[in-house]
This record gives sequence, structure tokens and C-alpha cells, in this order.
Amino acid sequence: MLFKVMAKSSFEELVGLLLESNEVIGPRMKTRHPDGKGVHQFLPITAFADMDLDYEKSEYSPKTYFLPFKENLSTYRFQGGDWEQEIKYRIQPRAIVGMRACDINALVKLDKVLLKGDFPSPYYLARRKNTFIIGLDHDPCENGFCASVGSDIVSHGFDLFLTDLGDRYFVAIDSDRGYRVAANVEIRDPTEADNEAYVQTRNRIAKGFKVEVSIRNLPQILDLEFQSPVWKKWGDKCLSCGSCSAVCPTCYCYGVEEKVAMDFSESAKVKRLYSCNLYDFAMVAGGHNFRPSRESRLKYRYYHQHRGFVETYDEPKCVGCNRCGDVCLAGINPPEVITDLEKEAAR
Amino acid sequence: MSVILHPYDVRDELEIQKALDFNRRKQLKHVDKVHRAEITNVVELTEQEKLFHIRILDAQERERFSFLPGQFVMVELPGYGEVPISISSSSSQKGHIELCIRKAGLVTGLLHACKPKTPVGLRGPFGTHFPLGKMRGKNVLLIAGGLGLAPLRAPIYYVTENLGEFADAHIIYGAKRPKDLLFDYEYEEWRRIYGVKLDIIVEKPDEKWDGHVGLITQLLDGITFDANDTYAIVCGPPVMFKFVCNRLRDMGIPMQHMFVSLERRMHCGMGKCCRCNIGSTFTCIDGPVFDYWSVLNLKEAI
Amino acid sequence: MKYLGIEPARPKVAVFDFTGCEGCELQLANKEESLAAFLGSIEIVNFREVTSTRRDDYDVAIIDGCISRDDEVERIKEIRSRAKILVAMGSCASFGGVNRMKNAYNLDDANREVYGDKPQATGLTRSIKEVVDVDLEIPGCPVSKEEVERIVQHLVLGVAFTFPVSPVCFDCKHRFITCLFEHGKLCLGSIARSGCNAPCPAGGLGCWGCRGPAEDCNLEQFIAIARERGFSQKEIDERLGFFGGFEGLR
Repeated sequence: MLFKVMAKSSFEELVGLLLESNEVIGPRMKTRHPDGKGVHQFLPITAFADMDLDYEKSEYSPKTYFLPFKENLSTYRFQGGDWEQEIKYRIQPRAIVGMRACDINALVKLDKVLLKGDFPSPYYLARRKNTFIIGLDHDPCENGFCASVGSDIVSHGFDLFLTDLGDRYFVAIDSDRGYRVAANVEIRDPTEADNEAYVQTRNRIAKGFKVEVSIRNLPQILDLEFQSPVWKKWGDKCLSCGSCSAVCPTCYCYGVEEKVAMDFSESAKVKRLYSCNLYDFAMVAGGHNFRPSRESRLKYRYYHQHRGFVETYDEPKCVGCNRCGDVCLAGINPPEVITDLEKEAAR
Repeated sequence: MSVILHPYDVRDELEIQKALDFNRRKQLKHVDKVHRAEITNVVELTEQEKLFHIRILDAQERERFSFLPGQFVMVELPGYGEVPISISSSSSQKGHIELCIRKAGLVTGLLHACKPKTPVGLRGPFGTHFPLGKMRGKNVLLIAGGLGLAPLRAPIYYVTENLGEFADAHIIYGAKRPKDLLFDYEYEEWRRIYGVKLDIIVEKPDEKWDGHVGLITQLLDGITFDANDTYAIVCGPPVMFKFVCNRLRDMGIPMQHMFVSLERRMHCGMGKCCRCNIGSTFTCIDGPVFDYWSVLNLKEAI
Repeated sequence: MKYLGIEPARPKVAVFDFTGCEGCELQLANKEESLAAFLGSIEIVNFREVTSTRRDDYDVAIIDGCISRDDEVERIKEIRSRAKILVAMGSCASFGGVNRMKNAYNLDDANREVYGDKPQATGLTRSIKEVVDVDLEIPGCPVSKEEVERIVQHLVLGVAFTFPVSPVCFDCKHRFITCLFEHGKLCLGSIARSGCNAPCPAGGLGCWGCRGPAEDCNLEQFIAIARERGFSQKEIDERLGFFGGFEGLR
């Protein structure tokens, strides 16, 4: 990885240059909560000023630019009792500016699932490679626990990653493409003082976390507590609405829906992101449901996040953004559920 | 001066340009592209089940297509959906598969209305297989309950076609009623193959039935074998394979010598949609064939 | 219009209106881009809003509206006896709909409130299934034409249609909407059946549950949450009772 330093005005200039010929997505304030706090979302921008780079975290994760809620997998065209299949992948490039470390780490986890194992996904690859990512460091958000799950620092998965040093940015460059794009504005090698300022900033951020979740023994605890009353307690609260998965930056499960035109001329095979908390997630043809209770579905979600994923990739699926906790009407959130499990295991 | 991000077209990747072959799992391919295939024959097995003979149309793809007993394919009826079906035919046949399909939901219901020549889509093969190579020189118990004979028929073919590789083969099959028995026209053929034993039992006999009556575990009472030299393949609903496998375990067969096939809701077959997860295990990648020891260690499996 | 060699049936369909606004019937005549194909896939033998034909030889009877008068009881029984398949279309036919609200009042008072000194014959509101057997209910106020099209596509090929089981939240989240509770509004999205694509929350209006409850919805917890957020039991009950879909669950 290369490190450079860029004046803030140069960064603004760089975004301006990107905007001239490319689609650029950035954090925008969409609305305000009644208490005045902004609600942010990653949306297309037309000017640098459209962005609120000081945002805490976006309400929805930017994963939807890589894994859209709905994506056409293929189109069938019917003629004379026969059909042809047509598949399209994204080929338009775009840039996303201002992604936080946790959200980029989420993409790195998705890369492992969708690109590195069996059956790499060409749909995801096409979107990933066509997206230029400029990340931006930030002080911890109010209830995030990314540091607890090792997602507060990002080492790859982006093109440029910026850390605010007051009047300038410390820039980590992780791709040749990033290097070439950054070279369009004034950029220089970091001095001793820059490096020191960077380390200090990182230290300040690292000390700022208010929420800590202990996940060291979590996979084992989850195994031990498979029958724990903790699951009933939280399962009873769960509305099985699937909102947690929708806002989660790493949830990738899906279902496939096919819709044929009324005149049977063509049909679309559409992938739709799903949620393991929805009632029919594990239902098979004929009606048998392998997870009929809310409790069993909620438990499964935690198992996938903190046990199953760890088993396969040696790290949790969760990046600690707590969006699931923020969005949950019933107040189900990882820090509390995990603390409950730990207490139960210690009893 | 402006900064132009260059478009990337995944179709330019060399890997993806190769002929579609789902056995090359790690390689980039059009994962949602289907093999164009055609229903060549439909055999009515029971009121609920039909056997579909399906042939891949493209000669090159047909040549590449190969599967192992226990694997499954996704069958696509464009416009209505895709269903996972385990392959019921012999793995030695090229580019031609047979699928035993029960009318259970939307796609299977529609498939039952399809006639020969209907163009369908196929993706696969997916999943793990019964490790018949490991069973070389050993006794094999091939046990099925109900619709379980559909996935068991592929290993039955393997065993009967390669009988010399096995010490002894015994097919044990149980169904609810005589009219639910699948592939009844093939029993005579299996029985006549030297060295294959076939026992069938039904729970609810009709007036014409003169065979065994009761639960499938009853058929295990009368048999003897050298437990350490015996492998079992058990296909059927969880409640059935649990009883059968526990019984075989008590008779001394190591649990890692028993193989079962699990059913879950697969949408992709590729370990991506998570719908078939059991705990952290993907039924479509790590299964559907598991040894019984692994099944017992899968939380929420049975 | 064959589908992969399967000749679809072309059922004879009749549409009848009972107590309701006829908005669902209007929906059937909407969506111009596929209307011709829609009308071509069925044979309409009786449907006041689209044809002057009045025949009684229908296979499928689609009922719009609920039962609220004695003469309607006779009429629906007659239709039931002729139809092979009887479909209750819309929230009124499925649950009683907004009409059902009057059941919570004294009927004479309700009559006076609406008709003044010219009272009309009116009884308790009932859904269609409370009077005759129903083969399929398509909930929604109004029904979604797209969903009706899909149902017809299943019907003509003889395969079963299944409705989404998830709550409206699922559709709502897929539209990047900020939860209406965050804006201090009451919303049934977390317990009401989806498939509508959440048009009300998208427009800033909390969900009113026109499609009835989602599968295995957690009503108890929902009420606790709504109370915690300052909504009175009366407000919540009114919301749940609005379309009648939660009747029997409360």
C-alpha cells in the first residue's frame, strides 16, 4: 500500500473531476429525525457540496450498489414454444465517495463469499470492478462496535482511503487505478509529521469507542447456548420483518422470483435479497418449515454472523455497525444479545 | 482534463468464455445460464410422481456434463421458476438424465403438465455425492423410504453396473402403500442381477400385497453382515433415516460409513443464497450427501 | 398463447360487486400496457365495468365488496352455486374492509349518521367467507393488478398461487424508506402482509394493513412497541380494525 497526502481542496477538485464524466455516489442527508439528527443515505451526487462527509453512518448500507435488493439474473424470450435466455452484467463504471471502514470491510467479507470460493458471482464481480471506492475515516459512531469485531481499520478492498488530518488528508492507495486517478490532482509523499499526525488520529479514533462487545469465545458460547432461554427472550420480541438483514452491510441471502409477461412473450428471473428472519426462509415445497419459530430464525441469524462465518473464514460476518440494532423496532441489537449469551454461559 | 473510469466487462474474462461446465466450480462462469435441454420422455410412476428423461441439447455441453450419484440439478421452467431435483439415473449415461419429480409446488406442478419435447433449463450438477469409491470391496446396504428411492436410484445403478467392485449389495425399500412404490417395473431387473438382494416392505398393504408389512426397520432384523466391512446409503425423510441409521449404528456400522441425503430449500445450488443452510453448513455445497456422524453434529439437521 | 407447449385454459370469468367502492373492479381494467393480453387470457361473461355481456355460465366468479344486506346473502349464494371457483377480491370481500368499522357501532346510529332521515336496509358487515365458501382471497385496498395478473397466469395453467408471507417492512426497506415510527407515525408495516410494494410508507403514510396480517405476525410485541412509543390502545385498535384483516387475532 502506498501513502500520500492531499490537501482538502485537492480532494474536492478530485471529486469534481470524477463528476465530469462518471456517476458519483456519496453520503447525502435525506431527512432529519424529529430530534434534528440527520438521516443519511448513499445517493448519486451532482456536486461535491451535495455530500455530508461528516455523517455518522448511513441508514442503509452502501452494499446495495454491489448487491442490489432486486437484480435481474436473466431474461427469457419466448417464441413458438421455445425460449432464449439473455444475461446482462453491469458495465457502467461509477465512484462511491465517503465509505466508512466498516462498510469497506463488509465488502471484503462479501468478496470472500461471492468471489473467492466455489461459483464466483459474475454479477457481483461486474459491480465490484466497476466501482471506484474512496473511503473516509471517521470518529466512532454512537453505538457502533466495529473495533470489537476488527472492522474499524481497513487494509484493502478500496481504491483510495482518506484520513482527515485537519487541513489535509492522509491517503492510502490500494490500487493502480486509485494511483492513476489520484495523480490528477496535487498529491505528495507524507512527511514525518504527516505520519505522526496520522498515527495520532488513528489512536484518537481507536479510543473513542463507547460500545465494546466481547466476541473472543462467541463461537463456543453460541454452541453451548444453543438451547439457551436467551433465544426465547429475544425471539419473542422479534417481529420477523427482515429489516435487520436489509440494512446489514454483509447480509447477502436471497430468493429468486420469476415473472412472466401477461402475453407469455418474455419473463424475468429476478434475484431479491431476502432475510433469514422471514417466516418462509427455510420452507420447502410441500410446506414443511425447517425454522417455523421466530426464535429459531433469530438464532440462526446470530449463528451465521458469529459462528458459521467464523468457522469458514476465521472472522465474524458482522462488522459492528449496529445498523440492525438501529433499525429494529423491537430493540434487538447485537451488543445486548451477545452480552446476554455471555452472562448465561457464565452462570 | 477529466477523470474517466474505464468500464469493465466481465464477459471479457477468459474463464467465463469457456463452455458452460458447472463441475469447474472455482472458475468464473455464467452461473445463472442454463443448459438448454429437452424433455425426451415422461414416465408416470405413481399418482404423484413422474420420471422425466431430459437431454442437454448442445452437443459440446452434453459431452462435458457429468455427475456423480447423489448430486442434484436445478430444473428451470422459464417464467415460473427453478427447483432442485436429485438425479435418479445412471452416472454412466452421457448428457442424458432422469429426474423423478413429485408434484409438490408451483414448478413441479407445472412440470407434470409438460410433455416430451418441452424445452427446459438445467443448471448443475451441484452438491456432494455418495462416495462409492470408498466402498470398493465392501458390503453396501442401499436403503430408501418413500420418495427416497429417487436419489437412491443413481447409486443403485452404480452398484449394479459395477457389481464386481462390491462384496455384497442389498436394496431395502419401504413405502406407505403398494401404490406408492416407485420404479416397480425395475424390481425384477434388480432381483435378477446376480448378487443383489431386494427387500420391500409397505406399511399399509392392499388386498393384492403378499410381501412384507410394517416399518422399514423391521427388514433390518433379519439381516447379518460384518459391520466393519459394511457401508450404507440411506435416503428418505429425516424421521426414517434417523431410525434406520440409529439401528445400523446399534448393529455396529460406524456412523461415518452411513450416508444420507438431506433436503432443504435451495434457490441457487451454489452456496450463495443461504436458503439451505443448516447451522453454518450449506446443504448445496457441503451436502446434500452427508455421513451420519456429520448430520448428528449439524445443529437443527433432524 | 401457448406456454412451452401447454395450452392454457381460458376460463369464463364473471365479476360481481357487493358492498364496496368498486375500486378493485376498476383495478382489473387498469394497466393498459397488458390489458389486452389480460382480457385475452380469460373470457369475460359478466362484468359491468368492461362489457355489456350478461351471462351466467361462468367458471370463476370474482367478488368485489362485502356482504352488508340480506338481499346480498341470497345473491352470493346463487353465485356460489354456479361458480366452480369463487374469488374474494379486495379487502372488503376478504375481511369486510372499511365497511366493517360500522360493526363497532349501534347499527341504527350508523344508519342515521349516513342516511339521515332516509334510513336504508343494512345489517352487520360480513366478509364473503363468513357467508359462503371462498376458494381464494386476494387482499388489498385496492388489489394489485400485477398480482391479479400473476394469479390468472397460475390459474390458466392449473398451478397454485402463493402470496408473499413477509410483512410490509420487507418491501418498505427495499425502497430505502426511513421507518415511519422514526417520524412519530403509527405503522402496521411490521405485522401486515406485503406484496404491495409499500406505497403508503413511501408516501409518508403509515401502513393500515389492507392485506391483513403477515404470516405468523407478532401482534403482541407490535402492540407493546406501539404503546411504548406513545400510541394509545384506542389508536392502535382503530388502526388494526380499519380493514378488518386483524379481526380474530386481537
